[in-house]
Amino acid sequence: MKRADPKDQDAADKWEVQLRKGCLELAILAALWNQKLYGLEILRRLESDSDLIVSEGTVYPLLSRLKALELVRSEWVESDAGHPRKYYALTPAGKQRALDMSKTWAGFSSSMSKLLAPLGKGK
Amino acid sequence: MARIDGDAQQKIDAYLSRLRARLRGINEQDVREIVEELRSHILDKASVGGEEVTAGGVGGTLAALGSPEELASEYMTDNLLARAEVSRSPVRILASLFRWASLSIAGFFAFLASIVGYLLGVSFILCAVLKPVHPQTAGLWILPAGSDDFLISLRLGFGSAPPGARELFGWWIVPIGLVAGCGLMMLTTRFGLWCVRHYRRSRGLPLGQAV
Repeated sequence: MKRADPKDQDAADKWEVQLRKGCLELAILAALWNQKLYGLEILRRLESDSDLIVSEGTVYPLLSRLKALELVRSEWVESDAGHPRKYYALTPAGKQRALDMSKTWAGFSSSMSKLLAPLGKGK
Repeated sequence: MARIDGDAQQKIDAYLSRLRARLRGINEQDVREIVEELRSHILDKASVGGEEVTAGGVGGTLAALGSPEELASEYMTDNLLARAEVSRSPVRILASLFRWASLSIAGFFAFLASIVGYLLGVSFILCAVLKPVHPQTAGLWILPAGSDDFLISLRLGFGSAPPGARELFGWWIVPIGLVAGCGLMMLTTRFGLWCVRHYRRSRGLPLGQAV
């Protein structure tokens, strides 16, 4: 079998990075759907419930932006560990954004699956 | 409560201090929140069995966060984008586009087009406002530049009109200048907001960071 050219492999990796990054906002909103979580819990939730391998340096600035856009709100809560933790929860606007994004995702995913069906048969 | 050893504390403080120094332009309250949230994250992640925070654990945690410079850059970009998205202020829009301009050619042209749009809009408005002050010289002028060639010049009325020049519109420059100037400002703002949203959607690879 022909091995992938390193340049092709690099392009595929970049595409995957972009795809994952594009999903991150929806994934965070979904993780907060029914509960409030702090940053590290969100990271662990994303890692355990999805294939998103998330860089910590990406999630915290994104949470900060979601807060500035008033899609999430935050509060500091004292913990047994001896330091406070910043918990995030969805605002009504955040819930609406999550619903809108999830509808778009479902439509997109279903049409892509139709398009990709012949590739599965051709294995 | 986890015990923090001296070296670990020093590493955390040095990292957060470098980060804080690079969060220029973000308000003090937000900077404090960012720093305290990251301190909390580092302590949670680096503690061994929830009992001791070691220098080794802190080193690994800080490496996973990336350098303070990269992290600050992510915060700065996200902060500017968020503020620009909910604002119609030309200054915020231009600040976001300037950041995009430093990352890509497309951003450079978007920034350039927005600067030209705003400058032209402001010039039309100023021309309309200054016409009553300099009625003989402020306005839109046609200047001869050769046998079949000419130049159009928007003059605010400072200095005298060039020889051979002919004024267009006369006093009509007041309403025309106000409408054209305000229209250009609005169109440029819409264009700038569209660019900011497009930039936000496309952001990812230009910064070269893994998810």
